[in-house]
Amino acid sequence: MPDFSPEDNKLALKVVFYGPALSGKTTNLMQLHSLLNPERKGELMVLETRDDRTLFFDMLPIGLRSRSGLDLRLKLYTVPGQVQHDSTRKAVLSRADGVVFVADSQVAQQDNNAIAFGNLEENLDKVGLDIDTLPMVVQFNKRDLPAVVDEAELQARWAGTPWAPLAMASALQGTGVIETFQALLDRLYTGIDAEFDLVGKHGIDRATFIGRLSASHGVGDA
Amino acid sequence: MRNFEDDPTLSDLLDPDQLQRLSNGLSALCREPVMISEARSGDAVPVEFNLETVGWLGGGASAGEREAAAELVSFLMLFVAKYRLAANIHHDTTEASYAELQRQNEALRASEAKYRELSDQLQQKVDEQVAVIRQAQQELYESARLRSVGHLAAGVAHEINNPVGFISSNLRVARDYVQNLEPLLAETAENRELLEDFNDLLSESIEGTDRIARIVADLKTFSSIDQADNALCDLNSLLRSACHLVQTEYDHRLNITENLAELPRIPGHPSRLSQTLFNLLDNAAQAVGDDGRILVRTLADNTSIQVIIQDNGCGIPEAVRSQVFDAFFTTRPVGSGTGLGLTVARDTVRAHSGQLTLDSQEGAGTRVVLTLPVKQGS
Repeated sequence: MPDFSPEDNKLALKVVFYGPALSGKTTNLMQLHSLLNPERKGELMVLETRDDRTLFFDMLPIGLRSRSGLDLRLKLYTVPGQVQHDSTRKAVLSRADGVVFVADSQVAQQDNNAIAFGNLEENLDKVGLDIDTLPMVVQFNKRDLPAVVDEAELQARWAGTPWAPLAMASALQGTGVIETFQALLDRLYTGIDAEFDLVGKHGIDRATFIGRLSASHGVGDA
Repeated sequence: MRNFEDDPTLSDLLDPDQLQRLSNGLSALCREPVMISEARSGDAVPVEFNLETVGWLGGGASAGEREAAAELVSFLMLFVAKYRLAANIHHDTTEASYAELQRQNEALRASEAKYRELSDQLQQKVDEQVAVIRQAQQELYESARLRSVGHLAAGVAHEINNPVGFISSNLRVARDYVQNLEPLLAETAENRELLEDFNDLLSESIEGTDRIARIVADLKTFSSIDQADNALCDLNSLLRSACHLVQTEYDHRLNITENLAELPRIPGHPSRLSQTLFNLLDNAAQAVGDDGRILVRTLADNTSIQVIIQDNGCGIPEAVRSQVFDAFFTTRPVGSGTGLGLTVARDTVRAHSGQLTLDSQEGAGTRVVLTLPVKQGS
């Protein structure tokens, strides 16, 4: 849930990158860290890893300050994908405002995607969130690999869900990562604006919200 | 409680000694001493961590020096914070796991308690069943004994019936002969007395044989040897036989008043019903002693038959009233009662879908009401 502190005029939002092990959650975050150039960007904190696998979580804070003085923060987290870190996943997921589900496009990984999605649904339920109303984007990563499920087939399969259309990405190549993030910002904005009147009180409309938080190097939109 | 993700303050990240040591180190590098504190002062520059201003760095010889020192502190903060965040989330998840374990433990304990209770209930049921089986065995034994006694009685009755029959008919013939002899004898006082005496002897003997015949008939009814296990029973005739038998047991000293209404015949088990009526009458007889009265009444309506056996005897003390139907409960001296009379009576009545109710007042008497349903089509 959004964390608003009126005394600092600060609104903190939390986005969690969820998904099966080795689907590229941390890679997504690292790409966002190097590609994005929002107004304010903190350090990418990669907490402990072992054999390049996330043990706790990674975190990237970004933010903007509106003309009204609103200090809007977005903290992007990843969870450890490995099955045994479920309690950490649950802790990171609690109070999330949005989720990016990073799925692995490889044919052999489809079962793992389904298991991780089920785990997400279950953990959301445990932390008191509803998967049907929480802003969420489903990204199919690793499109650059050879044995991946056809995009048309994936889109057709997810067409009836609230998460269509899917985002396609190759995080390692840096493609689709910002688009995924922008799709999430778009879905996130609706609820936040309804609750905090971003456009009325702070002059932040949808395009500003998405544009300023996902500004990338070279095409900065101030 | 703070969440692991809450933005840390300067004092969360470094304790005062560490902060002092950091300030000292930086001061040694700068041309002028620098100070790090949580409060803003003068020309201090912000020390940022994760977009958050965690403290202010003042002092130094120039703005450039302050900027460089603040940057260095921010850089250090990153690593301190990493450790802090990891430790926090580890703490959070450990607590959550522990809470979950405790919850599971609680659930486990609850389910264990439930199973223990179930096991206790099961044990209780087993005990109850064992008691039922034991009682059924006793009843079976009793009824087998009753049956063999009945067989014996019926056998004896059958054997006695024939001689009693011809003795009785011979006696009647003999009495006729005596009447025939009367005119042939000389009319003397001695002869008349002899004849009268002879006549009386024969009449008494005839009466005796009639009584024997009646007892034999009652025994046969009681043992129901010539009836099937399930037959249409005439409760009045069973009751009369039982009364006669009880009278026989008590040398005809009992004052029994019978007030029997017309009853429909009901399907049932005649020998068991007889035994039941006998038990109830026997109880009444024991309660009244020599000078009480026993009232036996039958009533009928469309749906049921009632047999009421009432006495004005000693009654049942309140303390034991709840136990009288318990198997082997008896107030009589050892050897004289089995403690099964009422138990068998109640079970028999239940087996006939009826009811047995007992109403007693100590010193005033006891009233037993036996209600049996009149079945449709019978």
